[in-house]
Amino acid sequence: MHEMSLVQALLTQLTSLAAEHDKKKVITVTLTIGPLSGVVIDSFQFGFDILSAESNLTKGARLIITSPTVSYHCVRCGSIQTAAMRPDHCPECSETLLIAEGGDAIILNQVEME
Amino acid sequence: MCDSCGCDLASNNHSHDTDSRIIEVHQSLLAANDAMAARNKAHFEAMGAVAINMISSPGSGKTTLLEKTIERLKKKIRIGVIEGDIETDRDAQRIRAKGVPVIQLTTGGACHLDAAQVHKGIHLLEKEPGGARLDLLFIENVGNLVCPATFDLGEHQRVVLVSVPEGPDKPAKYPKAFISSQIFLITKTDLLPYFDFPVTEARREALHLNPRLQVMALSATSGEGFEAWISYLEGLTGKTRKDNFPPLLSQS
Repeated sequence: MHEMSLVQALLTQLTSLAAEHDKKKVITVTLTIGPLSGVVIDSFQFGFDILSAESNLTKGARLIITSPTVSYHCVRCGSIQTAAMRPDHCPECSETLLIAEGGDAIILNQVEME
Repeated sequence: MCDSCGCDLASNNHSHDTDSRIIEVHQSLLAANDAMAARNKAHFEAMGAVAINMISSPGSGKTTLLEKTIERLKKKIRIGVIEGDIETDRDAQRIRAKGVPVIQLTTGGACHLDAAQVHKGIHLLEKEPGGARLDLLFIENVGNLVCPATFDLGEHQRVVLVSVPEGPDKPAKYPKAFISSQIFLITKTDLLPYFDFPVTEARREALHLNPRLQVMALSATSGEGFEAWISYLEGLTGKTRKDNFPPLLSQS
């Protein structure tokens, strides 16, 4: 349940952003959580619902999470596949060794505050 | 012109609440951890150490592997250990008995070490006799194949371990640990006759996820496959092996 630690990191970041911009309330938080980040989005949402309710700044804030696709780079022919799930092999040359690129990010994109 | 407020924006599809504001951040949630990890790495290098983060499920043999590794290498390589556990200093006691500097971090419930905890750990280790100058620093993470994979500690190498009784499907089920590691160690190979663990399948599954992964299979108990592990560690520290090693089991 390391999602709880990441939610805490998010809330710390929101608190300092609010202080920096002199805001009192977080309305929406937009995040990108990659499918290879090792983060379960439902657990992250669950953790956010619990911890965000503990402070007036974040109480009731809405979380918008997008999950990008991953590019798989074939080590033999160099072709790149974009897929939600890891392909078993390269559709061009049947090579099974594919290197995943992207998809491991956990990014805070945007915060709406008032 | 906007119909609602008369501003010079082309559409009226924007907020008219003057107090509401969208702030673009585009920063990793791990940014604070990663910044601390970079500091840790510089600190390891200032100590002269190559740092290795060891990740596995509970009970896969991390501590036993470290005990045997220390017995084997401590005469020529200065080794230090940072132990991570939820509770107790039992692992640190086992390592201390081998005569190398060690400190125990207890997370009090957290399922992984993070860079800030390890930063504290480095400062504690430096206060231990012989802990300030090291060639090799092992960080034994909390036993967990999931959460530790997300947190960079500033290590130079990440080693993921799976023991034979756990089964060969672990890479497929817990991909992040294998994608983010450089070394995959299959441990407890002395138990292969008693378990259905096709080593080739585990190797194939892991390489499928991460073609750059170096795979080794060993038993810390029988010594089988241990040489490759020792050679790898010696290579990391730049200290080449000498001819007359004490036999692995003679010191145990």
